[in-house]
Amino acid sequence: MSPPQQPSSTNPNSLKIRLTHRFLHNLNNLNKKRSNLDNTQIHRRSHRVKLAAYASMARVVGSRRAWSRAILWKIRNRKVFTRNKRVDHKTTHHHHLARSIKRRTTNHSNHKREYVDPNGNSGQEVKLRKLVPGVETMDACGLLDETADYIKCLATQVEVMRNLVDLYSTI
Amino acid sequence: MSSRRSGSGASRITDDQIIDLVSKLQQLLPELRNRRSNKASASKVLQETCNYVRSLHKEVDDLSDRLSRLLSTIDDDSPQASIIRSLLN
Repeated sequence: MSPPQQPSSTNPNSLKIRLTHRFLHNLNNLNKKRSNLDNTQIHRRSHRVKLAAYASMARVVGSRRAWSRAILWKIRNRKVFTRNKRVDHKTTHHHHLARSIKRRTTNHSNHKREYVDPNGNSGQEVKLRKLVPGVETMDACGLLDETADYIKCLATQVEVMRNLVDLYSTI
Repeated sequence: MSSRRSGSGASRITDDQIIDLVSKLQQLLPELRNRRSNKASASKVLQETCNYVRSLHKEVDDLSDRLSRLLSTIDDDSPQASIIRSLLN
């Protein structure tokens, strides 16, 4: 049963279609670049397909979301990183900021509560921050909101990939 | 449960906001979606969320692996390729 309200940007039908188009486009580009195939290539190709999947997701959602921005940023800077190894400058600042926020607010997390700690720095929130891109410094509301969107898109992307696997393997 | 609102009107996160977001998240989780009580505990929802995200990541890995193997079996002149091309247009 689909929920009664579906904002158009997260309407599963249009999201799925957009993801499918973008992912197929990326796969097609991958296919064009391929060289002769051997076993070592398959592993790299699998990695590239995975990157294409995340890139598709982030591309379709664009800069509207922190998680998609984080993925796009990572992708753009991967090339810089492998060439220059100068990216540390930006990422350490980011991590330093996250750590200092965490230090300031750990007092509040000792109190055992049923609800999510509003600063989002206790228990499971910490694990969640490692799983969802772009949420390191968000408060609990932002974290939950981003996670919900991330899950929706990720689940749709998985569905697209499953459909493609079925398509490729049954023809 | 009463929600606490900051007197100064600063954007303090209210309990209600968090409850609302947690229940929205719960609706997305396959494990908890069908619970009759629409309020699983927040920590349970978070835990399931972490598990679900991890399992989705793993699925992407597996599917990428399968897709890459299947891709290699398709060459440009095959009927599969033309279907894919038509899907793209």
